[in-house]
Amino acid sequence: MTLPAGVLAVRLGAPADPILAAAYWTGIAALLLTLLLGLQILRLRISLRARQRRETRALARWRPILNAAIVGDSPPQLPPLAASERLHFIKLWVHLQASLRGEAGAALNDIAARLGLADEARAMLGRRARTERLLAALMLGHLGDRQAWPQLLRLAGMDDPTLSLTALWALVRIDPQAAAEYLTPLFIEREDWAMSHVAGILQQAGSPVVAVLAGMLPRLRLERLPRALRIAEALRVELPADSLRDALASGDVAVVTAALRIVNTPLLQDAVRARLRDEDWQVRVQAAKALGRIGDRSDVERLVALLADREWWVRYRAAQALVELPWLKRPDLAALHARLEDRYAADMLAQVLAEQDAAAANAEMETA
Amino acid sequence: MNSHHLLLDFITWFVLCYFILLNGGYLLLNLLSLRTLHRKGQEEMLDDLPRAYSGLEPPVSILVPAYNEEASIAASVRSMLQLTYSEYELVVVNDGSKDGTLDVLKREFGLLPFPEAYRRQIPTKAIHAIYRSTKFPNLRVIDKFNGGKADSLNAGINASRYPLFCGVDADSILQRDSLERVTQPFLRDPTVVATGGTIRIANGCEVAGGFLTKVGLPRNPWALFQVVEYLRAFLFGRLGWSAVNGMLIISGAFGVFRKDAVVSVGGYRSNTIGEDMELIVRLHRLLRERRQPYRIEFVPDPVCWTEAPEDLKTLKNQRIRWQRGLAESLNANWGLFFSRNGGTPGWLAFPFMILFEWLGPLVEVGGYLFMIVSFLSGAISWQAFSTFMFVAIGLGVLLSASGLLLEEMSFHIYPRGKQLLALGLVVLVENLGYRQLNTWWRLIGLYRWATQKEASWGAMKRKGSLGA
Repeated sequence: MTLPAGVLAVRLGAPADPILAAAYWTGIAALLLTLLLGLQILRLRISLRARQRRETRALARWRPILNAAIVGDSPPQLPPLAASERLHFIKLWVHLQASLRGEAGAALNDIAARLGLADEARAMLGRRARTERLLAALMLGHLGDRQAWPQLLRLAGMDDPTLSLTALWALVRIDPQAAAEYLTPLFIEREDWAMSHVAGILQQAGSPVVAVLAGMLPRLRLERLPRALRIAEALRVELPADSLRDALASGDVAVVTAALRIVNTPLLQDAVRARLRDEDWQVRVQAAKALGRIGDRSDVERLVALLADREWWVRYRAAQALVELPWLKRPDLAALHARLEDRYAADMLAQVLAEQDAAAANAEMETA
Repeated sequence: MNSHHLLLDFITWFVLCYFILLNGGYLLLNLLSLRTLHRKGQEEMLDDLPRAYSGLEPPVSILVPAYNEEASIAASVRSMLQLTYSEYELVVVNDGSKDGTLDVLKREFGLLPFPEAYRRQIPTKAIHAIYRSTKFPNLRVIDKFNGGKADSLNAGINASRYPLFCGVDADSILQRDSLERVTQPFLRDPTVVATGGTIRIANGCEVAGGFLTKVGLPRNPWALFQVVEYLRAFLFGRLGWSAVNGMLIISGAFGVFRKDAVVSVGGYRSNTIGEDMELIVRLHRLLRERRQPYRIEFVPDPVCWTEAPEDLKTLKNQRIRWQRGLAESLNANWGLFFSRNGGTPGWLAFPFMILFEWLGPLVEVGGYLFMIVSFLSGAISWQAFSTFMFVAIGLGVLLSASGLLLEEMSFHIYPRGKQLLALGLVVLVENLGYRQLNTWWRLIGLYRWATQKEASWGAMKRKGSLGA
């Protein structure tokens, strides 16, 4: 139907009426654009096929060489790396590196060094193509290339979260100590960096980050404290009790809940107990959990009182905390359940006890 | 010129301008999508790298409402238990099924009654019992009185343990890494309250163990038309609006939500057909009223595959339901329309939906009828009539072709040249009848909404071969 109408319109020429003519030319423009889109789709498909063929050839040539290197059988002579194979090779190399540890990774680094890929990757970091920059940052991180430090540092400061986080990962791989000092404040500042990614990167940096983070906490502005505490939690950092005591006394709910999540010392029992009656239910939830970790026998009644809290999650965490207390055995818990007068409290403890039974049964099944 | 001619001219130009504006609007959305897809393509190789979990990924509760699904529920649940994600639970809600859905679940997953302190944050129909699987610790089943899909989702929200929940249809086929992909926006932006992903047509594909193993195109022409339709709807309809935080729908087949945000607006509305769209529009309306910063994002990755209707009657019913759902969702949230703090959703997306999606069928069908009748009665010239058809169909083809271009730029799911050729043909052919038919069905939907017939689960006739 499009074609006859179009042909007819062309035969008749554009209508004289100005609005009809505008519509006619809109139709013609749509037709021409559709043809262009069709050609572009074809071009994309042809270039995709060509790229796939080049990739298949590159992988067929280089995968056996890299596999041999991984098992310690690196060939004495390497074939030259063609320009058309470069990106495919780096992709394969990065993928293998990400799956390997130890000597195998060093063998792959040796292959990259023999092919002069560190220079190439540094040059790629300066190009505009984002894919090349990402690949180059990954490669330089695995290579531990110190020469790339200034370039990576520049990338790490960019607004693009994917690019900057990849550069940060590379910096941590290259020098965890220096990266911890320079970058831990950045990790705390940049809200657009996903916490799970930040934690994943910092976990690789290890102990230097812990020291830097512990030193920074007392000086941090209040609004940065929750994120810093969350990072400390992810890295399982044992922060000094005094730093945490200050955070627990804060008037900011986010700071208090973040601090409660990482409390792990009986030295802070009183500070935690003071939060059991907090107005904010999220604080009470975390306080109940924390007491399950650090509480003593005197806290049983406090937790029992929380079983009747108006908020479901507070009751649930209080019940879990009670069940986790090492000196409360099953008969003690059953007796406790029997004496509960509040229906909500009794229901919640019954649920958590049933969950404990189910978990034990599952564990038994897995062992069997 | 007499008044009769003036009126005729006015209607002719109104219809022409409407068609041009409608398609022009969608082309603008297309341009917005291009940038997002381009950046996504640059990060593609990062997706292939081995994934390490830091333990800070937010855990997700997958909610699966089920009503008379005894034939496929076990396979669906089994496949959903194999998703790759750091921590998730599966909550199946049996919505008073009349068949053996609950018995199948009990038998296949070793369900036992569990003394759960059910948390009633959103009112729902009464719960019969809650079961826990003895085989899979992260599987629970809620058995409740029949109350519809929205009511089941609300019961699932009440029972869920995690801060994010993912509502899925029981017959959805999920990509193994779908949760990883669709939760990404939650990781980098704490203001994100909902995300959705691209839904694809599973007809013609091969499925094994509840997962898609080979992508193919359906032979059935109705399903084939829907393949191109879904490309258009998701790759630029939703992605374009998402780029400006104006997306008004996340498909009920697969969407991830921040639970506290959904509970704060009252959960799903149970007396509507389009509960998925209504929730998103309401989230926009209420969060904007509260001046709470938020984002609702679309992830273009194909995360979920669904079986499309292959017969005319089922397809017609589906489209009528969708249009009614759209009308109900917009009608329930007029407060967003040009509201003081409405932003893109209130000042652009909502009016766009009203003008082109809600009233669209009325103007489109009216436009086609008017042109045909006017031409046959000699009121307008052949030139005016043919120009109208030329521009209306030409712009439609352009839109469909741009959907195909976005697909080829980003995911190129259909690898074979023959498949691309077939889709190219569909792009042309679907504009010569199928789209007009759809518009007619939508008009019926609009009429049924206006006459207020009762909402229901809406039985969908499927081949069901995919669940085998």
